[in-house]
This record gives sequence, C-alpha cells and structure tokens, in this order.
Amino acid sequence: MQMFGKARSKMVACGIVSLLAALNASAVEQPTVTELLKPLNLSGYASGMRPPEFSGQTSDGKMLSLTGLREKVVVVNFWASWCLECRPEMPMFERLHREFGAQGLSVIGINAREGAAAVRLYAKELGLTFPLILDPRGTINTAYGVIGLPTTFLIGRDGRPVALAVGPREWNGKPARALIQVLLAEPAPLKETRSMAR
Amino acid sequence: MADYSKFDALNVQILGISSNIPFSQKTFADSLKLPYPLLSDAPDLKVIRSYGGLNPQWDMTTAQRWFFLIDLQGIIRGQWRGSTSEVFPSEPILKAARELSKKQ
Repeated sequence: MQMFGKARSKMVACGIVSLLAALNASAVEQPTVTELLKPLNLSGYASGMRPPEFSGQTSDGKMLSLTGLREKVVVVNFWASWCLECRPEMPMFERLHREFGAQGLSVIGINAREGAAAVRLYAKELGLTFPLILDPRGTINTAYGVIGLPTTFLIGRDGRPVALAVGPREWNGKPARALIQVLLAEPAPLKETRSMAR
Repeated sequence: MADYSKFDALNVQILGISSNIPFSQKTFADSLKLPYPLLSDAPDLKVIRSYGGLNPQWDMTTAQRWFFLIDLQGIIRGQWRGSTSEVFPSEPILKAARELSKKQ
C-alpha cells in the first residue's frame, strides 16, 4: 500500500508537471484578439472608445437595446434586403447565433431604412431567427457612422468595441470562429465595476 | 480622396473636423479608406463654432461643408463654402495651395 501510495504520489506529481506544461503550451499558442483580426482584415479600436447605445424594435415587435446585452459578446450587422453583398452573410450569422448563442454570443441585425414587412419577408426567406432591429429613419446607422452595407461590429463582454468590418466577411471560417471563441472566453466584467463605469 | 497625394506633395496636411463622435468617424474613415485624420468636435462643437461653421439647417448641431486653407504661420489664406448635397471640387483649393506653396 505504501509503495502504491508513493508511486501514486509520483504519478500525481508527473501529472501536475504535464498539466503545467500543457497550460504553458496553450498560453503560448493562444493568439491575441489583435492577431485574430488580421486574417479577417478587421479593423481594431483604440482603447477608451465605446459603441453608441442603441434601442429599437425588432421585426417581431420586441424592444431590444445594447444596454440589455451587457456581459455578452455582440455581433452587430448593418444590412438591407437590397444589399447583394449582405445576403450571403446572413446564413453565416444565423449559424453563429445557433452555435454560440448559449455560450453568450448575441447576433443582432440592424436594418437600414426598410419597413417591418420587408424585413419579416427577408427573414422568413432566409430562415433567420436572430433579432433584426428596424431602423426606419437610419438613426442607429448614422450613430454608428455606417455609410455602406454590409458593415459589422464586434463588441466584447466588457462592452468595448473589438472590431469593424466594412464589407462582407467569411463569418463561418476558422479565423472568425477562433476570434469569437476567444472573445467568449474572456471574463465578463464584475457587476459592481460595470455599474461604476456607467 | 483622389487628390490627396497632390496636397501631400505640397506639404499640405488635410484634417477633417465634424460634430460626430470618434466611433462613427472611424466607421466613416474606414468605409472611404481616408488617408487623412478625422477630428471629433463633439460634444461641445467649439472648433466648428469658432469658425462660424455650424449648420442652421440642422439646428446648429452639425458642421457645414466649409474648407479653410491655413498657412505655416497659422493664418487663414482661403475659405470655400460647399453645399452638403454636392461633392466640392478640390481644384480651387489645390490651386490656392500651389500658389501659397510658391510664396512660402
């Protein structure tokens, strides 16, 4: 028994060494958010910037605001039904929404100056289930400085803007998924800290 | 901006100033691939007001599309007023910058 105990101690020690080695290896291999922006040709933000708050009605009549999405990683995509380059992105966003939604990803579509009926028809045609906010006067589009579609923003769990994509991207490819997974792995800010920051 | 390199060759620094916040200016600049900086005058609009460029058509909350050419001594040497609905041609400003460049 003693011998077994000693042997087990050694094995445990070896196990810890192996685990530490594995942790060190993963720490070295883990790419930074900045590195992950490059393959997707995404533009990063200077520290201290904050995305404008927005609030709007979705195509199914619910109210949704950015404030209500705190602690989530948020993908905000500006689009319109007439935008040809927007169309191929939509099934990719739907897939991200379904796959990572439970882990804390919120995919939000913000339409540009179209009516609810057109947006609902588009969503039905493409089988979209993530929220689509109506922006009939373009107020949110203007606040975000959007002058071309599609334009997409990534926001971290702490509310900081992470990346900007002007034009379409491959949102289901390995680089995009790796970026989203790294952002989802970031800790959510403490509630006390967030309330002080407000 | 098509003529940016011509201004750059004359040692003219182009700056854009607007009432927008830096976040939306970044989207705008990235969308147009602007090679020069945009400066935010939000929320106080002090610079735009001091140049007399607040837009009455937008309740004095935005800037009018005005252009100023400032020399190396900080003196305004030219002023042009464009409309918000049309692209202002850069030729007159470029011509003035060339003439100013010869004098300095």
